[in-house]
Amino acid sequence: MSGAFIVDAHLHTGEHGPFFAPESGGRRLRSLMDRLAIERAILAGSWAALTRGGEAALADMRREHEESGGRIRYLGVFDPREAMESLRLLEKAKGWPGFQGIKLHPSFHRTPAEDPSYERAWSFAADNGLTILAHSWSPSEYNPVQALSLPSRYEGHVRRHPEVRFVMAHCGGRGSGRAEALRMAGTHPRVFLDLAGDIFCFHLLETLRNAVPEDRILFGSDYPWLDPRANISRVLLADVPDSWKRKVLRDNAIRAFALEERLS
Amino acid sequence: MHRLAFFDAEVWLGKPVGFPLAQESSRDVLVSALAALGITECCYSHWSGHSVSAQEGNRALLAEARDAGPRFHAIWTGLPLFPAEDGPLPGRSETPGSVCGVRLFPRTHNFPLSDWVVGGLCEWLISQRLPLLIWHEETGWDSLRALAVTFPGLTIVVETQVRKVFYHLRPLFALMKDCPNVLLETSNLTGIDSVAFAVHAFGAERLLFGSFLPANDPLAAMGMIADADMEEEEKRLVAGGNLRRLIEGRAR
Repeated sequence: MSGAFIVDAHLHTGEHGPFFAPESGGRRLRSLMDRLAIERAILAGSWAALTRGGEAALADMRREHEESGGRIRYLGVFDPREAMESLRLLEKAKGWPGFQGIKLHPSFHRTPAEDPSYERAWSFAADNGLTILAHSWSPSEYNPVQALSLPSRYEGHVRRHPEVRFVMAHCGGRGSGRAEALRMAGTHPRVFLDLAGDIFCFHLLETLRNAVPEDRILFGSDYPWLDPRANISRVLLADVPDSWKRKVLRDNAIRAFALEERLS
Repeated sequence: MHRLAFFDAEVWLGKPVGFPLAQESSRDVLVSALAALGITECCYSHWSGHSVSAQEGNRALLAEARDAGPRFHAIWTGLPLFPAEDGPLPGRSETPGSVCGVRLFPRTHNFPLSDWVVGGLCEWLISQRLPLLIWHEETGWDSLRALAVTFPGLTIVVETQVRKVFYHLRPLFALMKDCPNVLLETSNLTGIDSVAFAVHAFGAERLLFGSFLPANDPLAAMGMIADADMEEEEKRLVAGGNLRRLIEGRAR
């Protein structure tokens, strides 16, 4: 392929308090997208939307979409601790251009993924044909809240809402969550896994290709937490067929987020 | 990638600790994996030096060194010179010429990174023209800076493992600004524009490529260098030129 063709299925924008990023706004993102042949991107919650929430943060993501000429799509963040307000905003955003689905982050929001308070978000996604992208990781000695986002914790919701396209971020992390994530992607036809984050395991692509159906793995960068170049290199130079690289870098994300369908 | 002549500062033998999905690999397997990516020279360490004892790790490296060849260099694990301990330890026993650096694990091995504890070892490292390597999470930033200021003739390589270094870039970059004897290994330097930022702020001679194989995929760190917004010569220095020069200094 020539020109921009990659879909980055998981990134963020905004000034992030916990770490240094020299420039992390939409302008820098668009410049990097041009530089790295990224045609479209899924904004999985700005930092403000993930941490503070509110209408202004949602409106800012819509602005990012518009300033990108439609290349950046965005997800509304559902915080189960503020379920009614989150739903009100999702209801408002569902007709907005570029609105693509819902982001869940049980670890940030200190609420386990199986908690019934998430049911409103899953029902909303089912009723409106939206995709859910959720954080997933493995148990961590030094970051215990990761246990709230273990892949298997989502499985009850997935069973109750099999029609919802569900993307588990970070492939379940770098530990025991990985096997759970792979099992779920192999079991449920609408469960996808993304490569975002620092899951820099050696031969990851080669392993995933043999473990799950070929239409389930999505490229993601987790910008600006991480530089897209780290993960793009791993896909482009992996020892896997080019036809599968194309699926990972583009086709699978289009399907997982119904990008063409919602565009039309 | 091959044009940059990568030289890997961070290859690990033995059973990885804290990376349950990573598999222990023999030197031959790792060498083959590196060669497939065009990497023909590396520095290797042993997990036992962290998880068992400095001496155990160094013994394992001594065994590997017998037929390693001239393009493979060992990084030993060190301890304070006093109180003296038995076994193969830098500054206490004969150190083979294949050793190109010494790593400390102050947090794991229970000593502070303070000159009154490790000063003797630092003096020895300077006399041997050997760099001191240290994972960023194995000490505090104040201790690291104090050591770098106290021993300006000591080359200190801050390694970006084993946890996310991007949470610590503010103190790390401030340290590099203050202390020209601090170099940075890049295996986990994957924050947005991090490699190019460090090169532009401190100079290309301050960074050393590392892969952290077999826990990490070398391509992540290689991609950050190969496609960074930097001059080609700067990329070559970071990819391998700086490490070659560091090791040649030891050989002289």
